Amino acid sequence: MTVFHFFNCAILTFGPHAVYYSATPLSEYDTLGTSIKAALVYLGTALVKLVCLATFLNVSDSESFDPYQELLKALIGFIDVAGLYFALTQLTHRNISQNHKFQAVGLGWAFADSVLHRLAPLWLGARGLEFTWDYVLQGLEANANLVLSISLAAFGSLIWLRKNKPRTLVPLIYICAGLVATMPSITSYLSRGWGWHFLDVVVFELGTSLVMALISWWLVAQCQRPSA
Amino acid sequence: MAMAQVKPPGPGGGRQVLESMYSMIALVFILVACVELCDAATVVDVYRLIQYDISGAPFGSRLANLNHHAGSLHFAPGSDLSRTVLIIPLRELNISFVTEYITQKQPLGGLLFLLPQIFSIENRERATSNHQIDGEVPMKNYLAELEKLLIHSKIPYPVYFAFEDDDIEAVLADVKRNDVSGQPATATTGGYKLVVSVPEPKKRASPTITNIQGWLSGLKTDGDANQLPTIAIVASYDTFGAAPALSVGSDSNGSGVVALLEIARLFSILYSNPKTRGRYNLLFGLTSGGPYNYNGTHKWLRSFDQRQRESIDYAICLNSIGSWDNDLWIHVSKPPENAYIKQIFEGFSSVAEELGLNVGLKHKKINISNPRVAWEHEQFSRLRVTAATLSELPVAPELLESTGSLVDGRPFVNETAIIRSVKLVAESLARHIYGHEGKNVQIFADNSSLAVNPSYIKSWLDLLSQTPRVAPFLSKNDPFILALKKELEDNTDEVNVQHEVLDGMFTFYDSTRAKLNVYQVASVTFDLLLLLVLGSYLIVLFSFLVITTRGLDDLISLFRRPTSRKVKTA
Repeated sequence: MTVFHFFNCAILTFGPHAVYYSATPLSEYDTLGTSIKAALVYLGTALVKLVCLATFLNVSDSESFDPYQELLKALIGFIDVAGLYFALTQLTHRNISQNHKFQAVGLGWAFADSVLHRLAPLWLGARGLEFTWDYVLQGLEANANLVLSISLAAFGSLIWLRKNKPRTLVPLIYICAGLVATMPSITSYLSRGWGWHFLDVVVFELGTSLVMALISWWLVAQCQRPSA
Repeated sequence: MAMAQVKPPGPGGGRQVLESMYSMIALVFILVACVELCDAATVVDVYRLIQYDISGAPFGSRLANLNHHAGSLHFAPGSDLSRTVLIIPLRELNISFVTEYITQKQPLGGLLFLLPQIFSIENRERATSNHQIDGEVPMKNYLAELEKLLIHSKIPYPVYFAFEDDDIEAVLADVKRNDVSGQPATATTGGYKLVVSVPEPKKRASPTITNIQGWLSGLKTDGDANQLPTIAIVASYDTFGAAPALSVGSDSNGSGVVALLEIARLFSILYSNPKTRGRYNLLFGLTSGGPYNYNGTHKWLRSFDQRQRESIDYAICLNSIGSWDNDLWIHVSKPPENAYIKQIFEGFSSVAEELGLNVGLKHKKINISNPRVAWEHEQFSRLRVTAATLSELPVAPELLESTGSLVDGRPFVNETAIIRSVKLVAESLARHIYGHEGKNVQIFADNSSLAVNPSYIKSWLDLLSQTPRVAPFLSKNDPFILALKKELEDNTDEVNVQHEVLDGMFTFYDSTRAKLNVYQVASVTFDLLLLLVLGSYLIVLFSFLVITTRGLDDLISLFRRPTSRKVKTA
């Protein structure tokens, strides 16, 4: 619906990434390089996932929820986790604290995800004359995705980078990490199996992201105490 | 061995990459274009009101492009409609309102009329019961009145016709709701936008009219020194209506064409056997240019030489014989006391009596100085050929009246009427040809090999009711014209096709059908509001993040930096 609407939806989709970068201490420590590298790793991961999906999945026309296919998709989704592991541990970073590292990686990851999945539909669809709420909802989804990516990166850094964790919290970390990693499968199940509309799914994602953000913040704070 | 088959990546490979890049870019462009074109909520087929000039005087809708907001008849009185398209369903038509609007030349963005599905030419699959047809009679009258008004007015904005379907009905219901609640659609309050994008309508240069004639030779015995007399049967096949893409003219003059083809078929059976071949030649003429003072007939007759014209004993023209009950009229321009006219009329009357219908005789003198030609037989009469028109219309139609309008569709034509007309004409002609006048002989009796074939009539009538036939929009080699030619070829000895240019009094413009895109648009205020909300959201997010990660002091210091610097330098 005109370029104005496209502009609105674009700042809703990509604005928070820029705001996050400039508002938190990430900008002061110049972690842009880390974010860019994380974005590139995401690109590679996406390509690998694409190839796996094309090879193993058979395309069906129906919109129904096929448990076997969804299980396969979830398994392939764990390639995401592998990519995140690679980004967190293998890339050579300058001396930045772990806190900032996982935030930068999460930010880069989420930004690449938004660009790859949401920029093309936005450019092609939001500039037309017809008005739909879809693109605004998509922007909200991008926001939720940002928070979820950073949470996942936080869990990842806790699992792989922090060596001394309080014993009791470890299972909680793994459970939360698993939940966030399987979010795509959960949302697709909701929209296809239960027939939720896009609006409901986005609200669910926003809620989950807030909850996960709080949990991850608390966990990071808890795990930081022994070394502080 | 394997190594020899491996292609070294060289300039050939580079070119391949470049080519694949170009195809990728092309694909992206196509994708962008595709999505830009088909993102409307609803796309509807619409048909434009005809645009034509008579001797330079403009008539009809003069514009084709449409890009305005939709409005309904429930608009607040006194509101400005110059940028609104009024959607008017035929069921809610207030003809006086439309007349007032058009005659007072009030500004309007456009008009869209929604017609019931019964008038659609593609509606053949749905069987229309008689009850449905009866219920639509008042609709028919409104539509006829509307058409007459629109054809004879000059309208400076686009006028389109569409058929009711669920999508457009939903849009209209929404628009009505908005209008009733007092929020007419404009750029700032949202609503629906109707867009038709077609190129500017251009004049159709040199419109062709095509006359098709079929000649069935009579039996010439050795004793005949002179040419055999000829009887001509003529019908014009083209139409004119408010929407040229919908002018199928099932009755005017589809019924005449069908009857002519059936008569040709029957006589071809008779004439195929030399024992039953009559001593008259038969000339079948399918003429074009009917609505325009029978221009085609005039040119066709002019193409004959004097001898051929004099050999025509008489001509029977068929015009609208598809929806009558018991009365037909024979219209003549020579006085009824004339011997030939008497003979023709008596022949028809006696057959009519047997068939149980009435035939009346109507006489209308022709005025040579008046260019108006109301009946086809008048063109014959002007060249001194005896002719009559058989029609269900009791009076001569006006210019551009009864020429195949929107109301002239398949549901309103009766095959039985056409079958009876064919029997009447064929029987009368046959009795005259074979000299059995006055005798009670049934040549084309039912259940004989010469019976009138109802399925033949039905299938041709169905075809004609799905083919719009406005002459300027029919090209020389239109499949329909070729079909008519082939049909006459099957049934006659010799077929000639004559292409002429329509006389300059009428000028037509193209662009007769288009696709209407209906977009649901949000207003500019909505966009501004959304921008405001998003801006404040981002600001709040920014402040929240600064406070939680760097502390409140940092947030405040962001705004106080200039003053603190001043303190430092001082």
